[in-house]
Amino acid sequence: MRTTRITRLGLGLIAGALALTACAPGPSNGGDDATTGGDTAGVEPSTEIGSDPIELVLYDGAGLKTIDDQLIAAFIAKYPNVSITTRFDPDNVQAQNAPRILSAGDPPDIARVTPGATVSADLLTNLDAWAELYGWTDLPVGQLANYTVNDEGVRGSGSQFSLASGFVTTGLYVNTDKMAELGIDAPPTTVEEWSEQMATAKAAGEVPMILGNATGQAVFPLQYLLNGHLGQQAINDWVFNVPGATIATPEGDEAVKTMAGWVEAGYFNDDANGTEPPNALARFVAGEGLFFPSGNWDAKSIGDQMSGVTFVSPPALNAGELKAQSNPVSNFAIPAKAKAENKNAAAAFLNFMLSDEARQIAVDNGFAPSGSGTPPNTEAGSLNEAVQTAFAALVEADGQVQFMQDATAGIKATEDAAIQNLFGGRLAPEEFLPQVQAAYEEELGR
Amino acid sequence: MTTTDLGAATSGRAPRARGRGGRGSSTESGRLIGWLFLLPTLTFYGLFVIWPLISTIQYSFFDWDGYGTATPVGLSNYVRVLTDPQLISSVGHSFFLMIFFTIIPVLLGLVIAALIQEIRLKGLATTSRTLLFLPQIIPGAAAAIAWVWMLSSTGAVNQFLSAIGLESLTRAWLGDFTWALPSVGLIGLWLSLGFCTILLMSGIGKIDVSIYEAAQLDGAGFFQTFRAVTLPGLRQEIGVCVTMTMIAALASFDVVFMSTRGGPGTSTMVPGVQIYQLAFTESRVGLASALAIVLTVLIVAVIGPMQRLFQEK
Repeated sequence: MRTTRITRLGLGLIAGALALTACAPGPSNGGDDATTGGDTAGVEPSTEIGSDPIELVLYDGAGLKTIDDQLIAAFIAKYPNVSITTRFDPDNVQAQNAPRILSAGDPPDIARVTPGATVSADLLTNLDAWAELYGWTDLPVGQLANYTVNDEGVRGSGSQFSLASGFVTTGLYVNTDKMAELGIDAPPTTVEEWSEQMATAKAAGEVPMILGNATGQAVFPLQYLLNGHLGQQAINDWVFNVPGATIATPEGDEAVKTMAGWVEAGYFNDDANGTEPPNALARFVAGEGLFFPSGNWDAKSIGDQMSGVTFVSPPALNAGELKAQSNPVSNFAIPAKAKAENKNAAAAFLNFMLSDEARQIAVDNGFAPSGSGTPPNTEAGSLNEAVQTAFAALVEADGQVQFMQDATAGIKATEDAAIQNLFGGRLAPEEFLPQVQAAYEEELGR
Repeated sequence: MTTTDLGAATSGRAPRARGRGGRGSSTESGRLIGWLFLLPTLTFYGLFVIWPLISTIQYSFFDWDGYGTATPVGLSNYVRVLTDPQLISSVGHSFFLMIFFTIIPVLLGLVIAALIQEIRLKGLATTSRTLLFLPQIIPGAAAAIAWVWMLSSTGAVNQFLSAIGLESLTRAWLGDFTWALPSVGLIGLWLSLGFCTILLMSGIGKIDVSIYEAAQLDGAGFFQTFRAVTLPGLRQEIGVCVTMTMIAALASFDVVFMSTRGGPGTSTMVPGVQIYQLAFTESRVGLASALAIVLTVLIVAVIGPMQRLFQEK
């Protein structure tokens, strides 16, 4: 009796499941058809926005409200006929929501997106005409890479679709008091010096580099090494999912071997795998560790809590060839479906991101500025000044590289597990990149 | 029977006046009213339990990123779930967690409940009951955060070990490939123990005191009473404990997610976290759904036989 009931239930479920496969989840057919944007339909691109009242809507992640409000205030001061209202989504869902917001009937005029990655270029206005008019084409290659998508939908080259409000940048925080104690004159500029200084620190009984690898922080310094060994183009291609892109090369293996050698030499805190990054930061501030690999986002917290500290760009493999992971804070685009009459004003707002005022606002908010040129003002001797100096040099060297964790939605999980295994001695260095590459290809369906 | 009694007591009232002819239809309308009462519950149950379940089954046959167009892939998501060593090992981890979520809490809970039963007269019972139940009112996620601090390299656990001269044993427990999973288990043990103890204590309370008195008169000691009176009397409560904690182990998410996120490496990865990661981080809704369905089937397959085992004879 019981068995038959269960059997019947099971059969029913299977039959139901089979019936269900007949119809697909997700938007019904045609629901995803966006207007084939990618052009400047209905608007004559111009740098003039006229004097009629214009109301724009800006869409961003909620965490960036402060900087956005300041940027808007400064922009409106310059263009009094424009008013901008804001719309925010929580930071952790903004990227996922962006395609829906953009394809909806009433999209914003300026929206934070990652063209090509989270948003198909069809949903965005092609900015080439404005790029020509405003001279955006002369921006550093490392920055333009974030804004462009080609005809095949691959990022990193082709037409421009966005412009950043500012950048994040990465490098090393250095405890300068400790440096002096150890008799080191200056922070490392090359990988060789970096390695030597860590050896010095280790010999003196100090923790050379402290990090919280419970969430894979060690991927940062590993990429500092990979940036040198693989180069900007190869890593960007990989992150942009260029067909055939790979990081599993003998050159890449060299970088991982260097890292594994450092692990073996005890250059990291031995509880790295069990430490969360905020705890590692707290310990660095308290005087543990000569180096702390992180980005500008920790500058305020570290600068407020300790004095003998500076920030440098990641040491280069070959002297002078600066490279560091550096990404847009907000990558602003103009939705294809935005009101045509608003697009010139929206483009003016994007161009405003490159102005001295906007660059100053970015820096005041702890970010690195969009565009290039002399670094905006910072408090003399402050940690932010060190960050800005390092970033200016990085832009000068055109060494901005994409974050490897952005290559696919799921790659960070693979990278984090692999780097923890590498730290735990459970993964041979030469297996690291092939493992990450395999997960990458599987996720992309290659 | 009841109807007759009722009828006799309230003779002449309306239902009876309708006569025999109405009997069948009144049962039917009664049944209808019964369903009507069930309707609100059924609606919510259908909407928030049955429908998501059916959707999950549906998604599991597709390759879908959660918003774009879905491609039917037949059973390949299931093939992947059942052949991918990493996904299989995550299931293995949750079975290992059963030691900490189920076996130890039930055994320890039995002993503690019996001991508290012994000291009931001495007035300590309420205090110990409250203390034991305290972890139960703290959300798993919050408890996990507290434990992350305690298990960190400078945390309370290592401080204690150092204080008693076991410095050599100290380590970053949650970052250690060998010890991370048992450490996560320890958090689960701390959470389950109070639940089991309280449930078992209430079960003991239901056992007729005269049986204990009889056992005492017969000269039975603590262990004999425990084996011959307490244990058999708690059959059903043990069943509930085992069922609930086994589900907690197999479907564990909050504790693992908040403490290790499956690391270091994948040494503490459990299906719950894996499903979350696949669906919401990697946008592989189809594969995540297939794993969720396999997990559900697995839980039913494990829990089902348990129910029979603990059923009253």
